Amino acid sequence: MTPNATTTADPSAPPLLRLESVAVAFGGLLALGGIDLDVAQGERLAVLGPNGAGKTTLFNAIAGDITPTKGKVTIKGVDCTALPSRLRPQLGVARTYQKTRLFGGLTVEDNLYLAQAGKRGRHLALRRNKLDAEMRVRAREAGQQVWLGAQLDEKVQDLSHGQQRQLEIGVALVTDPDLIMLDEPASGLSRGERERLIDLLEALPRESTLLLIEHDMDVALKVADRVVVMADGETIAMGTPEEIRSNELVHAIYLGEAG
Amino acid sequence: MMPTNSRSLAVAIAFVALVLLPLIGSDFFVDFVMTRTLMLGLAASTIVFLSAYGGMDSLAQWLIFGVVGFAIGNLVAESGRGLKFGWEPWLAVPVALAVATLLALVLGVLSARSTGIYFLMLTLTYAVIGFYFFGQVTTFSGFGGMTGIDPPDFFNGEPRRLYYAALILSALAYVAFRAIARTPFGMALQGVRDDPVRMESLGFNVQVHRTLAFTLAGFVAGLAGVLNIWWNGQIDPTSIGINPTLDLFIIAVIGGIVHLEGAWLGAFVFLGANIYLRDIPVIGNIGGVIHDRILAEERFNTVVGLILLVIMLTSPDGLAGMIARLRDRLRGRTPDDEDHLIDIGYQPTSKTQLG
Repeated sequence: MTPNATTTADPSAPPLLRLESVAVAFGGLLALGGIDLDVAQGERLAVLGPNGAGKTTLFNAIAGDITPTKGKVTIKGVDCTALPSRLRPQLGVARTYQKTRLFGGLTVEDNLYLAQAGKRGRHLALRRNKLDAEMRVRAREAGQQVWLGAQLDEKVQDLSHGQQRQLEIGVALVTDPDLIMLDEPASGLSRGERERLIDLLEALPRESTLLLIEHDMDVALKVADRVVVMADGETIAMGTPEEIRSNELVHAIYLGEAG
Repeated sequence: MMPTNSRSLAVAIAFVALVLLPLIGSDFFVDFVMTRTLMLGLAASTIVFLSAYGGMDSLAQWLIFGVVGFAIGNLVAESGRGLKFGWEPWLAVPVALAVATLLALVLGVLSARSTGIYFLMLTLTYAVIGFYFFGQVTTFSGFGGMTGIDPPDFFNGEPRRLYYAALILSALAYVAFRAIARTPFGMALQGVRDDPVRMESLGFNVQVHRTLAFTLAGFVAGLAGVLNIWWNGQIDPTSIGINPTLDLFIIAVIGGIVHLEGAWLGAFVFLGANIYLRDIPVIGNIGGVIHDRILAEERFNTVVGLILLVIMLTSPDGLAGMIARLRDRLRGRTPDDEDHLIDIGYQPTSKTQLG
């Protein structure tokens, strides 16, 4: 199957995210072999693939954690290929990490506050002001949104793994980003928590664009409008969840292994 | 964990006791033990601030402390080595502090990309460079050092005034460091400590935060350096060499590198051991009797090493953590080692190498 770059959302609108021949090499290892992808605003795209397929590397290239070796990353029409990751929240980009990356010595609320402070420029202030108070209110709301309302004042390192995964998502959502990138958000969650996660993702504003790496097929195929399947740094299939479910190649290299 | 209110109350009581101390303490105790405790504690508090809030373990604080001394020496002294500018002592203070702060800014910029053991080694390198710089550049000092550096008239021959100056600056630094932790900048600094990669992806410039924290700590270390040169009246490169550099770090660790107040506790125990242990016959005779001599440096190091060992084995977060646990036990709470380690955000797993 030849991957195509069309979207299911609104083909006429300029894409929110455009990848043109994006390649990433680590020394002699080609982790991404030249990915072309357009993601429209409001689209929900799941990225599937076996371990080592290059999914997280793709995320890192989009989020700016690594600079692509070749190719071009455009977000909202801005060439971001070499833009540092710290400047991307201004473009409305927020992400989570496969391995939880939170501020363990701070409380849940502090974590959700910092996520906003980063985007809203409260970096070096030595006095708290009205904006900080607003961000605190929003932080508490976002904590409740990811079912951590009772843990807002707890230090993150004291939370369970599942709670930390929930907060990881909260930190990404609290800034109301335009492009939300979730790297295996369901990993480590119980069945009940996964169902709540699906509800949460389905309840996101329709204009929010979602990129999702997920091994849990229930989550990925339920939430996504479109699915990209990767293997060995290439996209090997692209289509609706139904098309991917019935794709024999995907079954052979991915779903077959899982099932 | 000791509640914040209880902790603040304990610190407030200690402060009042220190205010009243000159009324009852001997001249020797106030001047030789407590003024130096406050000066060294102030310098060590910058190590604690950087480590506990910024995740940066710095060995350069003593260098900055010493640079202020050399700067004031060059500007104030009228004879001997150095520039001999003969300035009014008060006038030299802002200039010396500006030099120290600028130096901290430059060193901060250079080391902001490094973390962990690499940051530690880089700051050790700065300390060594500082030692050789003032030793070999005779324009500013030379190995013989500088003497005859008078404090302002207000402090000259008035050790209790210097004591109160050290107390006021220590109190201000303590309050300021704790207040900064709750500001947006302080929150971000603690975020940088816990996960710099995530902080970058949230929009923060991690290197700017590290650099500014290092600069602020440098300024405070410089304040301690001002007190020190006024107290000492002299400075030489050996006094900013590796041994005293490590001593300051040891003070911070003895006190409890995760508790700000531990910096002053550590300084008190360190100086107390240095001054009083030589009077105890058994300890004074470690390694054989040395007639008519004060406790030799090597013996002192042995004793301090043993104290450090005992404290680190029994309380990884130093004396301050030990006291906090003791209070909890007296109040009938279940002590929890980790609670104390995370009192101000400390993550034991990332710092165990300090022991």
